[in-house]
Amino acid sequence: MTTTEHQRAVKAAADELIDVSFTVNGTPVTIRVPARMHLADALRQHLGLTGTHLGCEHGVCGMCTVLIDGDAARACLVFAVQAEGTDVVTVEGLGTQDDQHPLQQAFSHHHALQCGFCTPGFLMSSYDLLAHEPGVDADSLPEELSGVICRCTGYRGILAAVADFAEAHPEGVPPPRNCAPRTLVGRGGGTSSIALDRAPVGDAEEAVPTDITRPTGTPTLTVEVTRLLTSSLADVWAVMTDVHRLARCLPGAEMTEDLGDDRYRGRAKVALGPVRLAFRGLARITERDEAEHRLALLAQGADTGGNRTAADIGLRATATPDGGTELRADAAVFLSGRIAQFGRALAGDVSQRMFEQFAHALDETARTGQAPDVGAGPSALAIGAAAVRDAVRRRVAALRTRLRERRGHRRGTSPRSSSGA
Amino acid sequence: MKPAPFAYVRPATLDDAVAELAATDGDGKVLAGGQSLVPVLAMRLGRPGTLVDINAVAGLDGLERRDGALRIGATVRQRHVERSSAAAAVPLLGLALPFVGHRELRSRGTVCGSLAHADPGAELPAVALCLGAALEVTGPRGRRTVRAADFFQGAMTTAVGPDEILTAVQFPAAGPGEGFGFAELARRHGDFALAGVVTRVRSRDGAVAEAVLSGFGVSDRPVTRDVTELVRAAAGEADVETALRPGTEELAREMVDTAGDAHGSQGYRRRLFAVLAARELARAHRRATESPS
Repeated sequence: MTTTEHQRAVKAAADELIDVSFTVNGTPVTIRVPARMHLADALRQHLGLTGTHLGCEHGVCGMCTVLIDGDAARACLVFAVQAEGTDVVTVEGLGTQDDQHPLQQAFSHHHALQCGFCTPGFLMSSYDLLAHEPGVDADSLPEELSGVICRCTGYRGILAAVADFAEAHPEGVPPPRNCAPRTLVGRGGGTSSIALDRAPVGDAEEAVPTDITRPTGTPTLTVEVTRLLTSSLADVWAVMTDVHRLARCLPGAEMTEDLGDDRYRGRAKVALGPVRLAFRGLARITERDEAEHRLALLAQGADTGGNRTAADIGLRATATPDGGTELRADAAVFLSGRIAQFGRALAGDVSQRMFEQFAHALDETARTGQAPDVGAGPSALAIGAAAVRDAVRRRVAALRTRLRERRGHRRGTSPRSSSGA
Repeated sequence: MKPAPFAYVRPATLDDAVAELAATDGDGKVLAGGQSLVPVLAMRLGRPGTLVDINAVAGLDGLERRDGALRIGATVRQRHVERSSAAAAVPLLGLALPFVGHRELRSRGTVCGSLAHADPGAELPAVALCLGAALEVTGPRGRRTVRAADFFQGAMTTAVGPDEILTAVQFPAAGPGEGFGFAELARRHGDFALAGVVTRVRSRDGAVAEAVLSGFGVSDRPVTRDVTELVRAAAGEADVETALRPGTEELAREMVDTAGDAHGSQGYRRRLFAVLAARELARAHRRATESPS
């Protein structure tokens, strides 16, 4: 009901920033905001949760509906500072693309969206309704759902979806499916307090963390690469345990500082066609198993544009009968910020190529004792370009097919062709 | 739609809240649910220098039956009252609350906030007036209790001084032989009403002992009339509602003094008010006589 017991006393001048700690989709977060910033802006700008939309910003349209302590509320009518100690669930917490909440499936089934702008609001509002009144009468739905406006006026599909869902779930609505502690809260660069303890979120260039935490939650993508190297296991392991040489094998990466305790500061550049990203970050070796020839490391980085990445990487070398080495790399990669919008397929392709390049460079280093020259061999740019080229080629092919279909259709029905004039 | 910058204070005690508000020298506003205040700030119709958030103030979140009344603290959400079994003591709250904005607003909005904001189209001030609620106001000079009849002084104007806080409201619990009615007409659910009525009839030994009609959305503040004589005269008729109509039409001319707007002229609202008043007085009368006195 009220949040009295969680909230500390605060006194802040108009130009002062206030630390606010609360839970978003199961993840504890701390943000620093001006008092006048409403919760919807905080979710979108500080935490990257852009699923919460903003329409009128004065409580009329319902686009920004979220759950606060289990009840639907307008995030534009609650200041972020008032969220202190609360448990907030946004549409991102409801489900994921791969694992939609049954309510989202019902919306999808009934085509309960046209432009989709009101959909997060309707999902959260109907979730709240079904959670508190599971047996809701279909006739009362137009009034019960009147707190959210659909300007496409696609209400029929929305009402059908909610009515259908209510009938199929008389026992109530299943809990949100995507609420768990995770490192990267949203795709706009927001980082939970788990990952960057007390570092001001949103000021990537100022935040200089000195340690990193294992990323949690569902990774944006996973990479598994197995490569056969010509070098012997002993030579490969020698490179794997020499951080300076190992870092030089990573495409675009550079180690800038040894912080001790197997922690390192570094830079990494990614170039994909017109896209140029420069990350600064940390890496820490968490396991070095001599007997199994296994290496585990964590890496995290941020650029000045609000993009963030974190990776949990495992490398394992095994001797092959012909005197060579099999290198296996597993990585869970977490992306947020605009880079996450590239889509998993493209980001996955790029990461895959990077690891392949890494394996190639590692082999060469093990064989020659030296890291390959920068510029020699395929560069990060070339790898990225190849991935982009592949992706573009696939897309162009798909587009061509679609155009062909459409053109064929038009040819058959066009009045101009039938008139023959 | 971003509010102008303001200083933000979230005190932990009522004494601190009153002191902070007094320290703003009239340039502060109390923030509870914020569902009426924040839109005003977002549209920059108001630019208070300081907001005093009372949500962390100890002792303001009580909802309890005490001495024949339901006492609702300043930070109790409307939706909490809707769900509470204690609120059954005041049936009019159950009738009126579903019409207060939307679920999504009632989850944050407070009962006391609606009263303190005193929008002339709002439901809860008329309920308070019809029931003769008592409002507890706390300021630097201590706590005083204001009767609903003296509380609403004009559009968004109440007896609460700039250095005072509405800390609780007491609604009298329904007694034996009491019946109630509530109706409003709005263009869409959740909008402020074009006209709305709240009615209360108390019967004793089968006779009408007291009847009250309150209206909202019809003037610059909620309005109320004792209509005991009118209801008593109509009570013997076979069709009470029809018998009440001439009387409510006359009352409408007197009580509905809003100039009207694009959504409804003064004449339309008077007609609406007369129809709703007769219907809901008849309903309250029916319930009062059915309910054991």
